[in-house]
Amino acid sequence: MRFAAVLSFLILSSCVAFDASAADAEVSVSLRAVPDEVRVGETFSLEVRADVKGGSLESLTLSDLRKYPEFEVVSHQTSRPMQVSFGFGRGMEVSSSLSHIYAMRALAPGTYDFTPAVAVVDGEKYESQALRIIVVDSGGSTSTRMAPTPGDTEESLSGASFNQEAFLQTVVEPEQAFLGQQVNVAVYLYTRVGVASRTVNPTKPKMDGFWVYDEPIQNLNGDLATVNGVRFRRYLLSDAAAFPQRTGTLTIGAPKVTFDTGGQSIFNSSVRVDRTGVNVDVEVQPLPAPGPADAFVGTVDLEASVDRDSVQTGNAVTLRVQASGVGNIQDLRISLPGIDGVRALQPAIKDQRRSLGGLLGGTRTWEWILIPETAGEHAVPSIVIPFFDPRTAEYGTAATEPMSFVSTGSAVTPQPPPQVDRLDAPPKTEFVFGPLRVYSALSRSATPLRKRFWVPTLLALPPAAFALLTIGIGFSRRRRRNQTTSEATQRKLLDQTREALRNQDPRAFYDGIVAAIGHAISARTGESTGGLSNAELRSTLSVAGFDEDLVGRVINELEGADFARFAASGVDADEMKRCLDRTSTLIERVRRSGRAR
Amino acid sequence: MKSAWAIGFVILALALGARAEEPASLAEPAAHLNQIFAEANTAAQRGKLPEAAKRYTELLEAGVQDPDVYFNLGTALAQSGDYPGAILNFERVLDLRPGDTGAAENLRAAERALEESRAELEGEASIRRNRSISDAIYQWVTENVLVYALLGSNFILFAVLGWAWIRRRRGRLFYASLTASAAVLLFSAAGLATKSGLLRDGPRAVVLGDRVSVLEGPDPRARTRGEARGGDRGVLVAEDGEFVKLRVIGGPEGWVEARMVGTVPPSARRD
Repeated sequence: MRFAAVLSFLILSSCVAFDASAADAEVSVSLRAVPDEVRVGETFSLEVRADVKGGSLESLTLSDLRKYPEFEVVSHQTSRPMQVSFGFGRGMEVSSSLSHIYAMRALAPGTYDFTPAVAVVDGEKYESQALRIIVVDSGGSTSTRMAPTPGDTEESLSGASFNQEAFLQTVVEPEQAFLGQQVNVAVYLYTRVGVASRTVNPTKPKMDGFWVYDEPIQNLNGDLATVNGVRFRRYLLSDAAAFPQRTGTLTIGAPKVTFDTGGQSIFNSSVRVDRTGVNVDVEVQPLPAPGPADAFVGTVDLEASVDRDSVQTGNAVTLRVQASGVGNIQDLRISLPGIDGVRALQPAIKDQRRSLGGLLGGTRTWEWILIPETAGEHAVPSIVIPFFDPRTAEYGTAATEPMSFVSTGSAVTPQPPPQVDRLDAPPKTEFVFGPLRVYSALSRSATPLRKRFWVPTLLALPPAAFALLTIGIGFSRRRRRNQTTSEATQRKLLDQTREALRNQDPRAFYDGIVAAIGHAISARTGESTGGLSNAELRSTLSVAGFDEDLVGRVINELEGADFARFAASGVDADEMKRCLDRTSTLIERVRRSGRAR
Repeated sequence: MKSAWAIGFVILALALGARAEEPASLAEPAAHLNQIFAEANTAAQRGKLPEAAKRYTELLEAGVQDPDVYFNLGTALAQSGDYPGAILNFERVLDLRPGDTGAAENLRAAERALEESRAELEGEASIRRNRSISDAIYQWVTENVLVYALLGSNFILFAVLGWAWIRRRRGRLFYASLTASAAVLLFSAAGLATKSGLLRDGPRAVVLGDRVSVLEGPDPRARTRGEARGGDRGVLVAEDGEFVKLRVIGGPEGWVEARMVGTVPPSARRD
């Protein structure tokens, strides 16, 4: 009995809770295509989805599904997950979803608009956003990625420098783009030699002026391609999506790669191969005028929601804005308009990147914490993002729906917003700056004194002068010292000669005469004259600048002395004395004659 | 006597050459520059500080590098609350005219005002501004004075050596003159090396923007390594396009946007 009572209570309370939740059902209906631009013959995914929380989904229809014969429905998949949850104070809560996913093939080019999908929940209709699908001719230009078709095809040689064995090619598409438009850059290695894949070491091209997203290449998978009639194996080395950040001609640098060939056996030694590609220019145009200056380049959809409709004043409400689209979504910036009586904290931003049919896109989500500071209804104004679609070359706008939430309770004292990035707060102390200077020489920028040419010159002058002085004085002193030494030696030789005269020793006397004259000549000319014949001595003295008379006298004196040395007995003392006087005079003349060395 | 005449002639010739090398603009400032200066002062006195700062900047862009112009610009910026900009310009005044007590006082006031306003917002604040010992030693001497001291002491040193070499006398006077001139020579040479940045890796720099991200590479997408605050001092160690590599004193070293940094002297960075 007790069990039956408990069971009936539970069933009753569940029904009450279910009814209460059905009264304020939350419904979300979406319609999207991935990708939303395709070529003729390509397939794409069309998804119609309804998410219902606290209500009963009766139907979900897309009336335009069969409207266009240009689309062929290849397959259809339906899923209907349901989730039942219990919560304290909330009773039972049922969440259900219904999604139809159609695989469709485009048959003809054109722009196709789909009216919103309609979901009926508890008798009420809910609509999704409208959808536009663009189909381009398979042979026409498109901004979707133009990766070279795999297979044994004849390839053009733009972006490459052909080589019979191996070369690099940079494929850039498109080569003319708008500012901020995606440019796909792929680097291929064409080779006719075997590549040891582990040794492949590519260097990515320099891409200044682009915001670049790289697609990492995990494995080298080659296909066949024919270039200039030569069959190559082709490997994709790098694949990047680049977004130009400035207008004009931007250059994508030459890629490089090194790899080893051969080495598979001991008879086949490996050879290192280096290859460098070529630069490729991309012409970047500004966005067409007139148009909003801060337009996002790509396409974008905006959704906004607050996590509750009513809140106690001073408590937080989370405003969530989600932007989904194609383009450099991480470059998307929005600012929240001011809301009266509400303080907004800095948003938390999350990014999700994904590639849609070769085009980079994704989702960026902002979450603001809103704190109402006054009671009443607070309107969250629409957030608008202008965008420029480079595929259609048209501007558009994405906007959120205006929303509102109610805060109840007494007002709280408003707090100033945190100002961590600005210096608006004046200091408490009053600082006095100045006073202004009313006179100025207004001197212009001039070469610093230390850089003027005369400063290093003047700096080098004293040490240079000192060095010259040192060298000059040193040389002079040395010469003087040498001269003094030489004269002393000659005086000593003449003294020895006088001693020989006093001792009546003609041989020693004339030896002294010859030695004294010889020393004087050697000291003056810097050459030894001991072993020279008279003719050689005459020539040497003439070359040294001695006058002929002096040369003749020197030769005569030396000849006489030589003769007397060997006929010493026939020489008297007077003759020796005269010879000594003549020798003294000759030595004195030798010291003053000729060119000293 | 002859050699004395010769040396005198050489010095005279060099002095005349130096005089001839000086730009004509140093002789007489153009009238329109004076007019701009007067207009800027008038605007500043009337409280039109942005206009005054604009006019002072026009003078600087016209090639004027006068400490009084930098002083007035720094004053206008400080009065309008741009304390990092004021700090930069007062630093430039002190670089051009080290003994300028007015600029030194205004610099200290701008730093205190910046710290106080930042403390009002964040609870505490400080500016990274440690000077090196060499900077502190030579802060009161101009570069030109050091150049003249170097030339004079160099001349005296070698004159004393030459005199001693000729006369072969080395008395007390010789040793006293030699020691004194060598000391002045070393002091002025070290000062010039300090002033010209030879002892640093680059010119001095002041951070202008607040909360400037210090990045790991010269690219806005590079990873953030740290943060520099307005008024922080540092050394500019490299340049790459729109980015400069900044070594913040007591802080991180990395790449920041060039427009967020000013150098002392202003010509230290190529524009």
